[in-house]
Amino acid sequence: MRKYIAKRLAQVVVILFFILTVLFVLFRLAPGDPVSRMVDPEMTPEDAQHLIEQLGLDEPIWKQYLIYLKNFASGEFGYSIHYGEPVARVIWDKLPNTILLFTTAVLLSAMVGISWGKIAAWKKGKGADIGMTIAALVTHTLFLPWLALLLVWVFAYQLDWFPITGMVSEEVFLDPDAGFWAKAVDVGYHMVLPLATLFLIHFGSYLLVMRSSMLETLKEDYIVLARAKGLSDRAIRNKHAAPNAWLPVVTSVGLSLAFSINGGALTETVFSWPGIGRELVFAVSQNDYPLAQASFLLIATVVLFSNVVVDVLYAFLDPRIRY
Amino acid sequence: MALLKVENLSIGYRTAGGMLKAVDGVNLSLEEGRSLGLVGESGCGKTTIGMALMGLLPPNGSITGGRIVLDGVEISALDEEELRKVRWSQVAMIFQAAMNALNPVIRVSAQMTEAIRTHRPDMDEQAIMQRVEGLFNLVGLPLERLHDFPHQYSGGMKQRAIIAMALALNPKLIIADEPTTALDVIVQDQILKETKVLQEQFDIGIIFISHDISIVAEVCHDIGVMYAGQLVEAGPAQEVFFNSKHPYTRALVGSFPTLAGPKSKLTPIPGEPPNLIGAIPGCRFCDRCPKDTASCKLEPPKWQEINERHWVLCDHC
Amino acid sequence: MSVQQATLQSLKAGRRALWRQRLAENWRVFRGNLLGKIGLSLLVMFGLMAGLSYIPPLIDPMYHPMTGVDPLVVKSTGPSLTHWLGTDFMGRDILSQLLAGARVAFMVGVSAAFMSVVLGTAVGMTAGYLGKTTDTLLMRLADMIMVLPTLLVVLMLAALFGQLSIWMIVLMIALFRWPGVSRVIRAQTLSLKQRPFIDAARVAGASHTRIIFRHIMPNVLPLAFLYMTFRVTSAIVIEAGLAFLGFGDPGTVSWGMMLQWVWKTGHMFTAPYWLLPPGICISLITLSFYMLGRAMDEVLDPRLRDETQAG
Repeated sequence: MRKYIAKRLAQVVVILFFILTVLFVLFRLAPGDPVSRMVDPEMTPEDAQHLIEQLGLDEPIWKQYLIYLKNFASGEFGYSIHYGEPVARVIWDKLPNTILLFTTAVLLSAMVGISWGKIAAWKKGKGADIGMTIAALVTHTLFLPWLALLLVWVFAYQLDWFPITGMVSEEVFLDPDAGFWAKAVDVGYHMVLPLATLFLIHFGSYLLVMRSSMLETLKEDYIVLARAKGLSDRAIRNKHAAPNAWLPVVTSVGLSLAFSINGGALTETVFSWPGIGRELVFAVSQNDYPLAQASFLLIATVVLFSNVVVDVLYAFLDPRIRY
Repeated sequence: MALLKVENLSIGYRTAGGMLKAVDGVNLSLEEGRSLGLVGESGCGKTTIGMALMGLLPPNGSITGGRIVLDGVEISALDEEELRKVRWSQVAMIFQAAMNALNPVIRVSAQMTEAIRTHRPDMDEQAIMQRVEGLFNLVGLPLERLHDFPHQYSGGMKQRAIIAMALALNPKLIIADEPTTALDVIVQDQILKETKVLQEQFDIGIIFISHDISIVAEVCHDIGVMYAGQLVEAGPAQEVFFNSKHPYTRALVGSFPTLAGPKSKLTPIPGEPPNLIGAIPGCRFCDRCPKDTASCKLEPPKWQEINERHWVLCDHC
Repeated sequence: MSVQQATLQSLKAGRRALWRQRLAENWRVFRGNLLGKIGLSLLVMFGLMAGLSYIPPLIDPMYHPMTGVDPLVVKSTGPSLTHWLGTDFMGRDILSQLLAGARVAFMVGVSAAFMSVVLGTAVGMTAGYLGKTTDTLLMRLADMIMVLPTLLVVLMLAALFGQLSIWMIVLMIALFRWPGVSRVIRAQTLSLKQRPFIDAARVAGASHTRIIFRHIMPNVLPLAFLYMTFRVTSAIVIEAGLAFLGFGDPGTVSWGMMLQWVWKTGHMFTAPYWLLPPGICISLITLSFYMLGRAMDEVLDPRLRDETQAG
């Protein structure tokens, strides 16, 4: 197992290296002068010179490439043109916010999707199954930003139950007496609508995959044996069928991670959730290339590592796989 | 009193094309400690009977006539909850190991204990574990492999584990559905011999379902040959095998190589069994039968007694 | 006409008849599928919308979705007789924009899907047929591209190269959405390669290209076609997302673009007549392609057909 994880991590490094190289080449091919795109025109000449040296922009191209790789490995991404501060500082602050929203959303929708899909398959053809399948089909094809806007319009603007945007309220976070829990509750309160958006879009695909996987599993001989043993329906469903039906769902979670990340960026943007996805969108619209590049690379890294986590989880759930 | 009596049993499946009569008026009877082999090609209804004995017909299947009486209890009249109690404690089933009958993500030990725990809630964990270990010894599986996952077992080991599982609650009747089909010949032979020993040791009634009449003739006391949902010939194993009367039984005997029987050329059976949707007026085998006469197609054949306890459903034998 | 030619012709006719028969059979199964019927009817409706999109500008230049402005309107107004769905903040007609959006959606969806399926099929067949190192390399590449979030990748390309035109967007979507197709096609090719008729063709001296095009391609095409419907969905959604974020082609009116205008101009709380239609259209067209795909899945894969059979 340890060997397998090591192998997968090595693959991630290779892929990252590949992406970095492609980005480097494209950036040099793209119109515009690399120096003016990487360096804030408002900087003092000394600072600008220092930055150019740090990024190696005055060196021959092969050396620039090596410096670029070295900088990436040590977490140096240059200066953000918009913020006027090191990119690393900007995005490291945002990473936990993205991970918080995204992980909660994926886990919640996977858990609900899996347990409902299990029930839908068990009650195949009955009202509950048809209702859940239709709900899943409809919600997971909704256009995400539109759904987000609708939720804001109804629950934040019309009903005024939740804040329209943001992640924290100033009165809570500026209050020196506010403890951890007060802050946590405030963040949770801001997170309801973005979470609901991501949940509604994602649970349906997990439900549909779990349902069809469960239907396949229920045809297996070991299910007949379990019934022949006189086990209760509950034991057959939860102990014998579901653990086998999970496996394809885990695979699909892994494959849909990229899709979920797209949705995460859109959600962050609509709700002004201070995460990396929103930062990437913002940076691209502001022509802040250093920031865009770093956000993109960080997102790619997160996606690649999540895929390793999913693969390891799969191996953990399926005893037949021993690496 | 017989352990098992199947009286005039008919089973139908609702299909898109209409009602499919998978089993039509079958009578069987089995004494305690005896074994009965049901033989026939796939689709003849033998597996359906096995499933009906456990109350495990698929959702679109149902018993349309007749009854099943096990040890004085009419199984065919029980509701789901009562059936659940009968399953495994009274009737157990030996599945074909190659067909994924063991759950791949659950340890073999857990799959063994859960049956006992479900039916004997009063037994403590230690006693259950002792019982499982005893069963493992009984079927000749090494104890240190008890907590393995099924994929770590060989085919023969899986088959033994399934047999051990079937014995767990001392059932009176075991249904063995093609139990050794996918195993290699040597393992197959070993397992069959051991099963026979265990059966005699514990006085269990066995219904042995197979497409291979030569295996059945070797291990069973009696044989029932099924064709297209009906029993066509029944009697003591040696009698049916060596003195087969029904043309279908003869064809079956001729279509398998035997270890024990006389050396002869294998002959395939031409043609296909009839479609079981809708009524069939005459003999079901007549399309493939060498002795086919005009009257065969029109009138249902009658049972003839050939020898003591040896019956055949044919007017021309 | 020689006897040989006659036989050949009758053979060809026979094959055509077989094709027709198979098509008719598939159509029969498809018609029995509720999801497929709903999906197809919805798509016909969207197709009509796309077709009708040419009409409004002909009636009056002010109905042009991009450049037309109603001189009497200075701010977004609700539905009226002249503007059935109302106007946007500049006085442009929302209905004509919606119709034009259908055209763009089909264009983007179908062309991106077509390109990615062609690419995916080519890669999948090559990898599966050639095997060995080629296979490993191509599939590693596919794995890598598969885990990248396409929307963000295209966004990054916009950061590098500036504003992307609609065809550039289509091309980018195609370039990053082929791996799923290629995996399936590869698996199918691998199983086809084991069949005797491929060996027979090889023994008969057929070249690799001939085997791929004559024997393998016809057998993987139905599957590729099925995948196209699913790719259409994802292409439409990616383009819409990109347009919503403000990186669409400024020369086109897509539904995502319309949503961006509602959102950026702050009309989302006050102009439901403007917010609802484009969102409903994107969601419905996605749903209908998805339903069509599921239905075709069942047509092409008999195992999925829900027929009660004897045990």
